[in-house]
Amino acid sequence: MSRFLTLLGLCFWGVTAPLRAGVGEAAYERGDYVEALQTWRAQAEQNGVTAELLAAIGNAEWKLGHKGRAMICWERALLLSPRNPVALAGIKHAQGAGGTDRPTQTWSENYAAFLGADLWLILGALGFWGTLLAVLVPKLRRQPMGDWTQRILITSATLFALSIPGLYGAYTLASRAVVRRTDVAVKLTPTVLGEALNGTAEGDVLRTGRKFNGHTFITSADGKGGWVKSTELEPIWGGGLPINLDQMQAP
Amino acid sequence: MRAFFAILAAFVAPSLVQAENHVTWEITPPVCGPGQPFRLQVRIESDDVLGPANQVGKEIKPPRGMALRFSGQLFRANATEATLNFSGVAPEDEGTYVLPGFNARFPSQVVAVPAITLIVSGKTGYRKEGRARAELVLPDRTFYVGEKIAGRVVMRGSEQETVTGTFGLECEAEGFNFQTEGSAFTQPLQDGLGLAKTFDLTPIRAGQGEFNLSGIMLVNTGDRISSLSTSGRDRPFNFRRKLTVEHVPETGRPADWGGSIGKLDATPPDLSNRFPEVGEPIKLKLTLVGEGNLERIVAPELPGSDSWDIALASELRQRRSEGRRTFIYTLVPRLPGDLKTPVIRFATFNPDSKKFESVEFISVAVKVSGNAPAKVELVTMDPSAKIGAPAAKMITGLLTPTVAAGTKGVAKIEPLAASQPFWLSNSAALVTLLLATLVISVVGYFAAHPEILIRRRARGALRRHRAAALEAQRRQDYAAYARAITQGLRAGAAPLLQAEPLALTQSDILRALPSANLTLLTAVFLAADGAKYGAKDGAQAIAEDAQLQAMLNTLEAQL
Repeated sequence: MSRFLTLLGLCFWGVTAPLRAGVGEAAYERGDYVEALQTWRAQAEQNGVTAELLAAIGNAEWKLGHKGRAMICWERALLLSPRNPVALAGIKHAQGAGGTDRPTQTWSENYAAFLGADLWLILGALGFWGTLLAVLVPKLRRQPMGDWTQRILITSATLFALSIPGLYGAYTLASRAVVRRTDVAVKLTPTVLGEALNGTAEGDVLRTGRKFNGHTFITSADGKGGWVKSTELEPIWGGGLPINLDQMQAP
Repeated sequence: MRAFFAILAAFVAPSLVQAENHVTWEITPPVCGPGQPFRLQVRIESDDVLGPANQVGKEIKPPRGMALRFSGQLFRANATEATLNFSGVAPEDEGTYVLPGFNARFPSQVVAVPAITLIVSGKTGYRKEGRARAELVLPDRTFYVGEKIAGRVVMRGSEQETVTGTFGLECEAEGFNFQTEGSAFTQPLQDGLGLAKTFDLTPIRAGQGEFNLSGIMLVNTGDRISSLSTSGRDRPFNFRRKLTVEHVPETGRPADWGGSIGKLDATPPDLSNRFPEVGEPIKLKLTLVGEGNLERIVAPELPGSDSWDIALASELRQRRSEGRRTFIYTLVPRLPGDLKTPVIRFATFNPDSKKFESVEFISVAVKVSGNAPAKVELVTMDPSAKIGAPAAKMITGLLTPTVAAGTKGVAKIEPLAASQPFWLSNSAALVTLLLATLVISVVGYFAAHPEILIRRRARGALRRHRAAALEAQRRQDYAAYARAITQGLRAGAAPLLQAEPLALTQSDILRALPSANLTLLTAVFLAADGAKYGAKDGAQAIAEDAQLQAMLNTLEAQL
């Protein structure tokens, strides 16, 4: 019986060992980035992704030379936590030493990044409902607006007005994608044989527009527009870990 | 019987005859000189109505060396004939060229155009120099995987024909990556008569491959000085070349070769500060110039030494056409004194000489002051910081990540804005609120204006009593008729007098209807209510029905 329990314990230890705290960090510290990446990926698949985890995976991917995957991880980490220091440092490093391009954020995007898209939407919804109820309820009750109602109206209307640039910035921030392939051609037309106007490299962050014929209209960091195959980009919103481009997708 | 069959056959025969298409073609000139532009006209006559032909340009496959473009179709509405026009340029070699048959697809039918023969002969006296022509400029040598081949299409004009533009450059080359710099990079030739379009070709696999480049140039013919006598036309061009591609040889390949292929030169290094202090980062800018795959070159890694800590800070990206690539390194002196920046050698493969060459960035003398020890952490050093300031702010490099164990995360990062329940619940709440507002407003309005409902009810009662009166009149029931009329008059007058209907008498009705006949009203009221007091019957009232109905109508109109 005791042998059975020992074996069971060893099995449990073996299964959970990679997920123990500090294993990934230790591997990263000693330069074993593959081990660190595997540990953190297993942790993400089991518990879901957090900003810290994504930033850490981004660092490991960068160290392994996967620029596109690293940038996706850091950008997504910033969506969850707009001031994550590891992700911010990673993106800055990628732009400086790594040579990747990233569009300069507009004032509304910087404003939106202060709180995050979801919080801006919640604040906007609260402001909208507060304003609406403060206006409608006294009318329905056929009573003049009281002091507290006026305070609620002013506060809600201010909150709603302040949330509008945040919502707009969050919308434009969401319309971005990371180039996942090396040497991607930016074409004049959304066609297979379209004339290549320019090139963009793996890890570059682009603003995306409408989609047509399997291509996405993009605007690069230096403001140049063109069409890129949609399969060569990965949107920043709407995913967890970066998609594996080497595996065929299931039909 | 024989006559009957003959007549029958005469009727049936026309229906069995199939519509026949007649296709002719004409080449102008009939015999072309090498490289001479020609015009091909294909005329189709049919028994059916033809229309515009579809995708003719895609159907036709010109033979090797010949450029051909579908330039348009002449047709009239409901016409049974069509003319397809092609413009082309004859191949450079003499001989007979067969343009394979193709299908012209009309809305009503598909017409098979037979093979067309073009004869190219050098005896036509055609002088190529007199016409605008396109030439492909591409090195005639073995190419190497990964190198950037700078090619050009030179479109030369002449005194009679000027090249004014180009479009539709398309390349079909398996195993090559083809890129152009866009229409802005079409440069005029020095003589002002032609244009040159540059492109880059990068082989991506070894072997022999065919390179096929086609496009169209816009040609202006006539007097160049007077714009009134010029006429424009487009002329296609097509080039096919067999290119041989090999891998860069392994023999003599230096260990530090980073994929550079081309004829490159080093410019003198540029140093941000020649008099730094110990530990003060300075920037060393190295620029490679020349022809080659500059954008594919991996920045060389420089190991640190006793004198220097070195890190690749960044690299500047230039456009391909600029022909330069810059790497910027951060150097931190470890020791004071007269130092020299390290000599940096860069291996490149020259495809012309087929040998590896070394490009060398010379060292630069630097005078380092100070006495500080030489241990400097690059990642925590800010080159733009003032000397002596604490280097607390990290400006580059990756931070060491920390991951909290057991923290629950999300499977997919999706914005709340993409959540359907969020928008559904908000929309439902908004619709409910607006509906409630609407209902309460309507109810409140009626509560504030009760006369609206009272008059509405009175109108309904008046109409009911009028219908009852008509029914009683039909039955000749005088008492019921009089009761219905009086009830109708009371119901109609009550809201106007703000009184209860049952309390009204004929004099009250007269207040609501001043123009009414009092005698008639009295008679009707007596007939209705006077029966119990033994009054006379109401036959007189029925006789005055028109007046009574007019009273009811007047009351209804006032409600």
